[in-house]
Amino acid sequence: MATLSLQHIDKIYDNNVQAVFDFNLDVKDGELIVLVGPSGCGKSTTLRMVAGLEDISNGHLFLDGKDITQTPAKDRDMAMVFQSYALYGHMTIYENMAFSLTLRKENPNVIHKKVLAAAEVLGLTSQLNKKPAQLSGGQRQRVAMGRSIVRNPKVFLFDEPLSNLDAKLRGATRREILLLHKRLQATMLYVTHDQTEALTLADRIVCMSMGHVQQVGTPLELYDTPNNVFVASFIGLPPMNFYDVKVVGGELQGNGFKVSLTAEEKATLAGYEGKEITLGVRPENFTEGSDIKVTVTNNENLGMNTLVYGSVGNTGVKVTAKLKGWKNYKVGDTASFSVTRKHFFDKETTNAIRGGK
Amino acid sequence: MSMSNEDRLIKRDRMRYIKNKPSANLAYLAILLDVIYFVSIYQSDVETWYYRWIIGVSIVYNLIFMLAAFLSSEGVKNYQKNYTYIELALGVIQFVRIFILPVPAHNATLTVGDVTIQVMHSAQFTLCVVCLIASGVCLIASGVINYIKCNELAAHMKTLENQNA
Repeated sequence: MATLSLQHIDKIYDNNVQAVFDFNLDVKDGELIVLVGPSGCGKSTTLRMVAGLEDISNGHLFLDGKDITQTPAKDRDMAMVFQSYALYGHMTIYENMAFSLTLRKENPNVIHKKVLAAAEVLGLTSQLNKKPAQLSGGQRQRVAMGRSIVRNPKVFLFDEPLSNLDAKLRGATRREILLLHKRLQATMLYVTHDQTEALTLADRIVCMSMGHVQQVGTPLELYDTPNNVFVASFIGLPPMNFYDVKVVGGELQGNGFKVSLTAEEKATLAGYEGKEITLGVRPENFTEGSDIKVTVTNNENLGMNTLVYGSVGNTGVKVTAKLKGWKNYKVGDTASFSVTRKHFFDKETTNAIRGGK
Repeated sequence: MSMSNEDRLIKRDRMRYIKNKPSANLAYLAILLDVIYFVSIYQSDVETWYYRWIIGVSIVYNLIFMLAAFLSSEGVKNYQKNYTYIELALGVIQFVRIFILPVPAHNATLTVGDVTIQVMHSAQFTLCVVCLIASGVCLIASGVINYIKCNELAAHMKTLENQNA
């Protein structure tokens, strides 16, 4: 397998539109990196630059320490799995999986062994004589993966491979990709706009916005200690609640509510006394308490949890709380919440405020 | 270079997923050669020698031949043994056809005005005979290859079934 290093990579199109700005990333051998971000953030462009399908405007790309910035796509020894599967409809699954090796004029017996081995891994052995049209979306995506596996590439690239699947299949195929990664121990770069995929699959996540890398870290790091408001709002479902608050004494004063601070939080916000900051609270960090009084606008029971939507008094400040258990708030009821975990962001830079930093 | 037992086994196993393209391609070639043959015959315009019932039969047979050979090509592509027999029969008939039109036409002469002409010149006769023979050989070869492969595949499948049992 392989290590991959992206150093100061920019993508500037002919019309001077810059899609990627100074992208830096070191991918370890066998690591599964997920590039996540909203549409148009440059994640697919980055992946295509790694694959060699787009030119790299500035910067360097290294594979196993070798500079492959100018190497054509066919010589990069990488395999890409596309959202649209890109299977040949007139060929059987076996022929589709064997195709790249046939083009390389490999020994047919070797091809046969590799295809059967890949089919076994992916549970496609009984489907080998079928045509792609006879398979479900999830199976087709597995064929696309199988086609990559038989090539035994140094790096696997996935460009939103699950986007064409329905929710149930997406979950199942996601688990299969994870198992595949564990089995192959391959270096993988995976692009998605779905944070659930990112959180469940990644060894590390690269969160992107507007062509810039916002944060690189483990799923827990991105969830628990987001670098800025963008990452905090993008990671987590339902998204984090944000409030403009003022740091006054030992508490935060917001529009219609006050929240007290712990000693540790006071220390973190020592330099912000009297200033406005952005308070971030994840819905799951609300509990029934007494700090914030909320007029309930909606109550959604999810079984294990209840999503309570509301606004602080009559201020219009929105609150989304995810409470444990089954709750039965009616529209117009007043609910009282406490906050168990707070995130602080500088209002001007939107960067996280952390103690000791 | 001799093939190891493992290679031989894999080669047989490949037949489970790879179609019998050599047999199918030979059948296609047989159709092509037959087309060359009948185009050559039907473009001949020597008084009314060809305007007989035999030409009608020939046209109908060519249509049947093309259909049967094409279906056979699809059959043998999927290792269906029964199509072997159809191909062998079609192949043998191609040889017989040499004596139905080309040979009589080659031997026949016609007198147009004061000139005596041969209905089918040697060059055309040679082309027709070569096409029919080659077409017949292709079909027979296709059938034989299919027969051998079908037996190999059947034996291999039986082995696999026994292993799984």
